[in-house]
Amino acid sequence: MRRLRQGPGRPAATCRRGGCGGATLALALALVLALAPGPKAVAVDAAAPALAPEPRNLTTGADIYAHLCQSCHMAQGEGAVGAGHFPKLAGNPALRSWEYVGVTVLNGRHGMPPFGSWAQMGPLRLSVRLSDAQVAEVVNYVRSHFGNRFSDRVRADQIKALPHPTQPAAD
Amino acid sequence: MNKGPERVSPTRRELLRMIGLSAGSTALYQAMTSLGLAAESPYRGPVDLQGTPPGASVLILGAGMAGMSAAYELRKAGYKVQVLEYNHRPGGRNWSLRGGDRYTELGGATQECRFDSDLYINPGPWRIPYHHRGMLNYCKLLKVPLEPFIQVNYNAYLHSSRAFGGKPRRYREIKADYQGHVAELLAKATSQRALDAFVSAEDQERLLESLRTWGALDKQFSYVQSEASSLRRGFDKAPGGGLSARPVASKPVGLSQVLDSRLWEHIPDGDYFDMQQALFQPVGGMGRIGEAFGRELGPLIRYNARVVEIHQDERGVSVAFEDLAAPGPRVTARADWCLCTLPLSVLAQIPMNVGSSLASAIAAVPYAPAIKVGLQFKRRFWEEDEDIYGGITYTDLPINNIGYPSHGQHSGGKGVLLGAYIWGGDGMEFTSMSPAERVQAALAYGAQIHPQYPREFDNGVAVAWSRVPYTMGCFGIWSDEARASHYDDLCAIDGRIALAGEHASFINGWQEGAVTSALDAIERLHQRALAQRAVS
Repeated sequence: MRRLRQGPGRPAATCRRGGCGGATLALALALVLALAPGPKAVAVDAAAPALAPEPRNLTTGADIYAHLCQSCHMAQGEGAVGAGHFPKLAGNPALRSWEYVGVTVLNGRHGMPPFGSWAQMGPLRLSVRLSDAQVAEVVNYVRSHFGNRFSDRVRADQIKALPHPTQPAAD
Repeated sequence: MNKGPERVSPTRRELLRMIGLSAGSTALYQAMTSLGLAAESPYRGPVDLQGTPPGASVLILGAGMAGMSAAYELRKAGYKVQVLEYNHRPGGRNWSLRGGDRYTELGGATQECRFDSDLYINPGPWRIPYHHRGMLNYCKLLKVPLEPFIQVNYNAYLHSSRAFGGKPRRYREIKADYQGHVAELLAKATSQRALDAFVSAEDQERLLESLRTWGALDKQFSYVQSEASSLRRGFDKAPGGGLSARPVASKPVGLSQVLDSRLWEHIPDGDYFDMQQALFQPVGGMGRIGEAFGRELGPLIRYNARVVEIHQDERGVSVAFEDLAAPGPRVTARADWCLCTLPLSVLAQIPMNVGSSLASAIAAVPYAPAIKVGLQFKRRFWEEDEDIYGGITYTDLPINNIGYPSHGQHSGGKGVLLGAYIWGGDGMEFTSMSPAERVQAALAYGAQIHPQYPREFDNGVAVAWSRVPYTMGCFGIWSDEARASHYDDLCAIDGRIALAGEHASFINGWQEGAVTSALDAIERLHQRALAQRAVS
């Protein structure tokens, strides 16, 4: 029972890809842009990113960050401030502890969804689950980018040893 | 309509209890929903708060549906009410983006909505089921006119990029063919005596008869190309008048193709309790409700107030906030009681002296990423070319939905589609893009279903809820485990502070959850206020 219905309370929650990843998307975008004339068209942006194949196929820390984490922590790890804030990762001394970063990615914090399991409401999956290897990659990425210079690298087996969220029952 | 739990027979009660024990609260909830008991709004009519202590005051944080419905009722009951709101407008997630509106998301990207003057998109809630009586009541009180929201449209599409060569199918075709084939199979099983152990001979006759009706089967209980099946799935040439009148029946899609397509996943989408017709939308956009509430409450709401600390003591609650319109030292508001409706994604970051059980509950609820993209087209081609008036197309592409407007139909002018409605990992990916890229991606995917997109596109806006500055997420995600450990603590009054909002409800992501949680919370706060007066 992967999904029941759609609506504010009952959304589709699966991460899947139809036939529009990569090259197909680029082609479709090109078609849209070529045929959308006039000043009211969306600005042409040749760098429009193709969507990733599937979260489970995101292998590098850079990809995982750009497709998922960036949605809140922003492109340069600068975070954001509104009614609350998304923590800045750039130059953040809390990232000294890879355990802290790993536990946060796995379990979420405050409104941040967990990535060690799906954030699930009933049968609905409302976030993404990353493998321990993917978590290790993205932990290493944020600790070595955005002005962070922590040189120790964490491995998947070390992530595995950290507390994980309860895994929801299988489909 | 008023099937309250008191009408549950002992057998049903026992059944529900057993389901609850063995399969967890989700199964219980689903079972109750199927019995028509759970999902109905607990709204019991207007609250009646009597005997308000003279001079008693309540400070409400957040001018969304929860905060404003509470403010309305508490003012009526005689409380001194003040509402602090982060935005410069009332409504919160009750919001419509219209031509001329500007919206700046977290990260600084600003979009100017260039829709025509009568067109809009609801980035948040967009429909009100007929049984959400709390919301409907406030629409009536505030004189917000409603119109039907079309949820189910048999002529909209089901689309899979992996089936039928990526060509969309009409909902009516898939529904009729799935139903027809299943009916035929069941009829075969019945005639071949496979059901003898389960169904009496007498009932088998009725079953066969009902299968023929349900599945549009022929006299031999077969689902075939016929007038009967075409009356469900549509004709190749529809009946008309005159010499060219003779209809041509259409050919059903085979069972195997229907099953392989997985399009059947969406057949029951309109059968769920909160998606069943009738549903409603305010004329002119969902935001009309928040706007009307804002006018009604007038000076009670202080806008541009960013709450930074909540502190309670034995006599009241003090809330420190920054005035975003006039930056300067912090301002403090104080009242006897506080109703806090801030989303937990925000509240979790605000210092507040409450007990550890409430603090843990506030931190236990992650927020859902979600995206909506509104696309204005120069022409309502979905109506003019494809006879689609309202309703929703479902697709396996990342855009998930294409929603057709229920208003302005047949007007011949421009129209705005909901071009994408996305959650989960796809939602995070769309959020990671710039607003213009989100619009482009929605166009590129949608063009696979509607090839008119590139030619007819005019302009668009994209709202990613994780980047909405006042919520930082769309709605609270309650896992069964978190619900069991924390939900009661979240709703319990802590000293002089009570929480309300969709997050403090079992109707997550719906405005009715916000309203009913607010009314529930103020009734309990009122009881505390009365008890307080009794002892002082």
